[in-house]
Amino acid sequence: MLINILEKENLVEFFEAMQSYGEVVAPVRATDNAHRFQPVKGIDELDLDYTRTMIPPKKYFIQPKETLFTFNKEKEKYLEPPSIDKSMVLLGVHACDINAMNLLARVFMEELPDKYYLERRKNSVIVGVSCTPDEKCFCKSTGTDYAQEGFELFLHDIGDKYLVRVGSLKGHNIVKDHSELFAAPEKGDLDAFKEAEKTRLSSFTIEIEMSGLQDHLDMSYDDPLWAEYAEKCLGCGSCNLVCPRCRCYDVQDYINLDMNTGERVRMWYSCMLKDHGLVAGGHNFRPTSMERLRNRINCKGSLREEMPNCVGCGRCTVFCPADIDFVEILQKVRGDIK
Amino acid sequence: MTKPRLGIFSLTGCAGDQLQILNMEDELLNLVARFHIVDFQEGSSHKESGPIDIAFVEGSVSTETDLRHLKEIRERSSVLIAFGNCATDGCVQAMRNGETTLAQRLKDVYGVEPDYYDALESKPIREYVKVDFSIPGCPVEKDEVVKAITSLLHGDSPLGYSYPVCVECKLHEYPCVIVEDNKPCLGPVVRAGCEARCPGLGLDCIGCRGPVEDGSNFAAELQMLLDKGYTEEFIMNRLRIFSGELPEDFLGGAK
Repeated sequence: MLINILEKENLVEFFEAMQSYGEVVAPVRATDNAHRFQPVKGIDELDLDYTRTMIPPKKYFIQPKETLFTFNKEKEKYLEPPSIDKSMVLLGVHACDINAMNLLARVFMEELPDKYYLERRKNSVIVGVSCTPDEKCFCKSTGTDYAQEGFELFLHDIGDKYLVRVGSLKGHNIVKDHSELFAAPEKGDLDAFKEAEKTRLSSFTIEIEMSGLQDHLDMSYDDPLWAEYAEKCLGCGSCNLVCPRCRCYDVQDYINLDMNTGERVRMWYSCMLKDHGLVAGGHNFRPTSMERLRNRINCKGSLREEMPNCVGCGRCTVFCPADIDFVEILQKVRGDIK
Repeated sequence: MTKPRLGIFSLTGCAGDQLQILNMEDELLNLVARFHIVDFQEGSSHKESGPIDIAFVEGSVSTETDLRHLKEIRERSSVLIAFGNCATDGCVQAMRNGETTLAQRLKDVYGVEPDYYDALESKPIREYVKVDFSIPGCPVEKDEVVKAITSLLHGDSPLGYSYPVCVECKLHEYPCVIVEDNKPCLGPVVRAGCEARCPGLGLDCIGCRGPVEDGSNFAAELQMLLDKGYTEEFIMNRLRIFSGELPEDFLGGAK
């Protein structure tokens, strides 16, 4: 069955079943504004009724900062870290983040296969969960509020039950192997799902018109709005580092004082930082913060696989220390507001 | 192969950066084995004259004696590294620069008119000599020192931190103390490299590694904190504790 019902009273058993597929990581409340994906040992530690994490769950596939390998020059050897093939269950991922990871999967698994990303995704189970948008969410505008793929199971809250969609063969096998936890949906369950979706879709309070946005951005290339926002922008890079769809990183090699052993380290990077556009010879493609800000918004507003490079999660707005509102910028670009 | 000749020097400061080298206990034997150390006051009374391949200079230029010493070091050295915030930014002894004259300060503090102390207004060493590389911090981070040294031994120029503390907060998933708590954090305009140690403990950054000189926007930081109700005096005092002599264009705004 592609549609199943999980009673909420079976959630403890469901959680225990998921533990057999690997370490469970799930949203746990961290601050007033944010949850954090972290390892959990029991269902009472996690909070499936959350709005957003500050750092998106992509951190489990391409880690914020990681040693790719250590090396030994004399022995002509290199060694990868042991964590690469660890099994993991990401429990409670929202549709926006799943859609963001679907893009990352295309980049890191198909276009330029990255063995770290590949291994980790292969060894993981993703369980999505439905959510209610808050006043910063605009995933409906970006078409990323519903996940069609990129998960094993997706739990839709329909009251005292979850309607569970199966999204992969692995997900199908999970349901098959734990059939005692699931039931076939009844008409009332499907009605409840439709009602829940209606409620969710009518809860959005902000939107961006995506139609022709790329052209609008092109036409706004010389608009004074970029300089206005650059004046307010701290250039701290937070917007990129909390973005589920950003995928820039930096790689550095470090050698130890023995001048023989060392490591190669990869870390997330941000196009809002000055040396992102710096190339050999000292030329910088985006030397001013105005150019960097314009570049970021253009990247986010441009299409990729028929979807914008933004999934509407609202993180860059919520976690900007300077209170720069991403949606407001795009509304100005379109001329919706002055 | 002959070992590179290393000199570690102090001008005016607390000598805490030299101490950080001595604190590198796991690396110390490897370090002394790699270099011929010609001067390292805090480690040994042994001193040699002659050329130096790499000079680490901590402390600010605060006396005529410092200045003569610095110029002599520069003449002897192929690579000169400003070591710690006194050397890179002037630090606490430079925090009142520009507010009153040195003569006035001598009078206010010591009640004397003439300059008994051969004192100069405290300045970072870049004000007097060419600096090849800077390792900021009050004190310096051991890890950054090791990385800089190994880069130099390897024949590369060391990599500094061109980005602010915010980056490290995000990489560690530390809650933002500005967004969450409205604290007067200097993280957005201060050099990373500390692994966001203070915000990781819920504390706002007080800027002990000095300003990100190129690419940060202090005018926006100032405005953001003014909007939160902090006074300009408070913000500037906080910034200048460690950033003493600010680069001229730092206060200027968006770049």
